[in-house]
Amino acid sequence: MNNSIEQWFASCGVVPGILGCGVRHPDGTCVSQRFHDSCSRERLDQALQSLGDSLSAFSTHGLAPRWLTWTFEQGQLRLVLRPDGRLLALAIQPNTPAAENLDLLTEEFLALNFAA
Amino acid sequence: MAFSVRPVAAISSRGPKGTVATPAKQQHILFVDDESSFLDTIRALFTAWSKSSWQIECATSADQALEILKTHSFDLVVVDVNMPVLDGEQLLRILARRYPDLKKAVITAHATEQRRSACLANGAELFIEKPRSAEGLKSVFAMLDELVTWKQQAGFQGMLRRVGLQDVIQMECLGRNSSILEIADRKLTGRIYIEDGRIIHAVVGEMKGEAAFQKLLALPGGSFELQHFEPPSEQTIQGQWEFLLMEAARVRDESTPEAAPAAEPVMAPEPPPALETPVGPTSFSPRVAEMLICSGQGAPLYQWQCADAKTRVALMVEITQQARRVGQLLGLGKFDRLEIQLPTGRAVAQVKPDRMVFVQVATETKSA
Repeated sequence: MNNSIEQWFASCGVVPGILGCGVRHPDGTCVSQRFHDSCSRERLDQALQSLGDSLSAFSTHGLAPRWLTWTFEQGQLRLVLRPDGRLLALAIQPNTPAAENLDLLTEEFLALNFAA
Repeated sequence: MAFSVRPVAAISSRGPKGTVATPAKQQHILFVDDESSFLDTIRALFTAWSKSSWQIECATSADQALEILKTHSFDLVVVDVNMPVLDGEQLLRILARRYPDLKKAVITAHATEQRRSACLANGAELFIEKPRSAEGLKSVFAMLDELVTWKQQAGFQGMLRRVGLQDVIQMECLGRNSSILEIADRKLTGRIYIEDGRIIHAVVGEMKGEAAFQKLLALPGGSFELQHFEPPSEQTIQGQWEFLLMEAARVRDESTPEAAPAAEPVMAPEPPPALETPVGPTSFSPRVAEMLICSGQGAPLYQWQCADAKTRVALMVEITQQARRVGQLLGLGKFDRLEIQLPTGRAVAQVKPDRMVFVQVATETKSA
């Protein structure tokens, strides 16, 4: 795993309310980390692939998302697209510090230096 | 008052009143317009229609108006926007500073949404397009008469019409303000509670929650007052304000399919929900760029500036399918909505069993 992602995943672990997170690289490979039993890495990877593939649907409709937030009854899923093609999926529980800091986490991911 | 955003106060567009009852009090009104022929017409007609209860003074420039204001007090100043040297917007700004309690209205031959927003932000209670007919002038007179005879009470109060009330709610929500919006017409009084930009409660009579919110927004006219926020005894509304406003618009439109014939179109063209929130040298002006409400089966019920409703419905169907897949995969439960951050603003798609809603809000940055 890339050091930047590894360190960032570790920093996510201290934020209460994050269920799991994963990154899809431009080559299609995924790395993920779970922080809660309800969120397995395999499922996170599947969700990431599925959501990543669906992004083209938005451009077809004239929308160019920078990030998307899928809100469900029991959680939220933030999908963040970097200009370099990397895609982050962050699953969080509602009404938690993670939910309050979702934009901050997004900015952190966008600012990550993958060349390091 | 501690309101950070001045709400838009718009006058009920009832159209010409025909015979207007004589107001009990003499009203002193100053018209400022560089077109002296227009001022002559106004003076003659409005004095007659008010049965001489309006004492009309006229000024052909902002400078002259300011001079008159030094020695005379007025109940209302009506300002033209396009004037040489000191234009109407600048004059409004000065009047707002020097005479904060003075009622102000704008009348212009060049009504644009940008100008309307600027004038309202600078303290105008009313923004009217210059009429081109006698009937139109009657409507203008009726609106000004309503404004000038409306009694100021403690706190901010304005007359409402649909867009005006929506604008106020939109501004409070976008400004993440906390306030209570008390709305009244002749028969009922209700309250909408906004906390940190979220609509949390509405009550009117025995009705509470979304139903009360929709009922209040469906009122054809009345008055509203923004009050300091105090937590309600209960919270009955949880949805996003955009959806609540759109749903209220849909309910209102469905409930009034046979609206009264339109009056002489003297008001500025019906604007999209928009606002100006001056926040310093640079301000952000969010506006609803597109909206679509469909039935659960995808039949459009309400749309505004939606270029291709079918395509949007198709997108929402795709979103629904994707949400179902991901929700099941991660055990997140039932899908509520998708928010999309775009380079130019954001979009929100909500899918419920009985309806689908898509709204796109554009955020424009403006330098002062």
